[in-house]
Amino acid sequence: MGAVVQALGLNNTLVAQIFNFIVLLIFLRIVVYPHIVRILEERQNYIEKNVTAAEEERKQAESLRQQYLAEMQKAKDEARDIIQKATKAGEEQAREIIEAAKAEANRVKESALQDINREKEKAVAELRDHVATLSILVASKVVSEKITADIQRSMIDEFIKEAGDLPC
Amino acid sequence: MSAAAAAHEASKDMLAMVHENLNVWGFPHEAVNFGLGPMNLKTLVMTWIVMALVILFTVAATRSMQLKRPGKLQLMVEEMYSFLKGLAYENLDPKKGASLMCLLFSLFIFLLFCNLWGLIPTMMSPTADVNTTLGMAIGVFITVQILGLYYRKLSYFKHFVEPFVFFLPLVIIEELSKPLTLAFRLYGNIYAGEVLIAVLLGLIPLTITIFGGFIASVVWLSFSIFVGFIQAFIFTMLTIAYIGQVTAEHH
Repeated sequence: MGAVVQALGLNNTLVAQIFNFIVLLIFLRIVVYPHIVRILEERQNYIEKNVTAAEEERKQAESLRQQYLAEMQKAKDEARDIIQKATKAGEEQAREIIEAAKAEANRVKESALQDINREKEKAVAELRDHVATLSILVASKVVSEKITADIQRSMIDEFIKEAGDLPC
Repeated sequence: MSAAAAAHEASKDMLAMVHENLNVWGFPHEAVNFGLGPMNLKTLVMTWIVMALVILFTVAATRSMQLKRPGKLQLMVEEMYSFLKGLAYENLDPKKGASLMCLLFSLFIFLLFCNLWGLIPTMMSPTADVNTTLGMAIGVFITVQILGLYYRKLSYFKHFVEPFVFFLPLVIIEELSKPLTLAFRLYGNIYAGEVLIAVLLGLIPLTITIFGGFIASVVWLSFSIFVGFIQAFIFTMLTIAYIGQVTAEHH
């Protein structure tokens, strides 16, 4: 044993080195080690916090997105409704306009026909008067004293009546 | 035969000369007694320097820690810590791992700085002294035993006699081999690295050509940085594994 110790050159340095290391260990334990542990823990907490915050924000963004999508869908629906309504109203209006136009046209036609009839009747009456007057003149010239005025008149009326039945 | 011996003698002389030349601080080669028994003064001084550096580094890194915009030093320490935390939480359960994180972090950063410190010319890795590595390994061994007792109570002793009673010597040898391998793996790697650095430095005046000593020395130095990281990582990883073994609950 002694020879081995001699050969290896072992001496009290061994004990001194253990002592040195223990001194260093205690120093590092007191002065350095707490800082390292603290900073690593802080970093871990910081990262965890960041990760959870990011997760939270992601969720919020997702819900916002859903909300916006829903709102956009609603807006689209509304727009479609409005367009449909507008289309329907337009069609309605167009039909009303057309109907009004038709009614107006009918009315104009009716009044025109009435005018025509009235004018026609007026013309016929005028013509009848003229004919009667002319007949009276002619008859008075031809028959003069043979027929009284009354007889003459009745004959003329008869004649005119016959003439009035003719189509004109 | 005599030529080989002469060459061996010459190389030894050369190495001794390089060591002599590198010893610009005038540390004694022999152990010194301060009244606390013989100690290697150079190892102790280098350990204190490394401790001061570790303290400087970690305090500078954690002095004004920022949550949102971490500085470079802070980021380095944080990454180191997170890396070890990942390892510990994989192998131990998180509750036990959290209680051990300070030990693992200190162990890793101390060993890392020890390993890298020897790459600076005229300086020496404290881990290139078997006293340091064996001290650390014994410390880890004791910690492992205490944790085993703490978490498994008396049932901890049961694993010495499993599966049969006559496995006891084997298990004891296995337990004892753990700190020894831990210590000598680290010591061997770092000490070999230092010796090779010295040898390559010694080669420079002999073969002043670029390819003889200088490039090789630079390449070896950069590889030693890698080795320093790897060895500190292995030591810490094995510590975690040993603690995981003894604290694992068997059902």
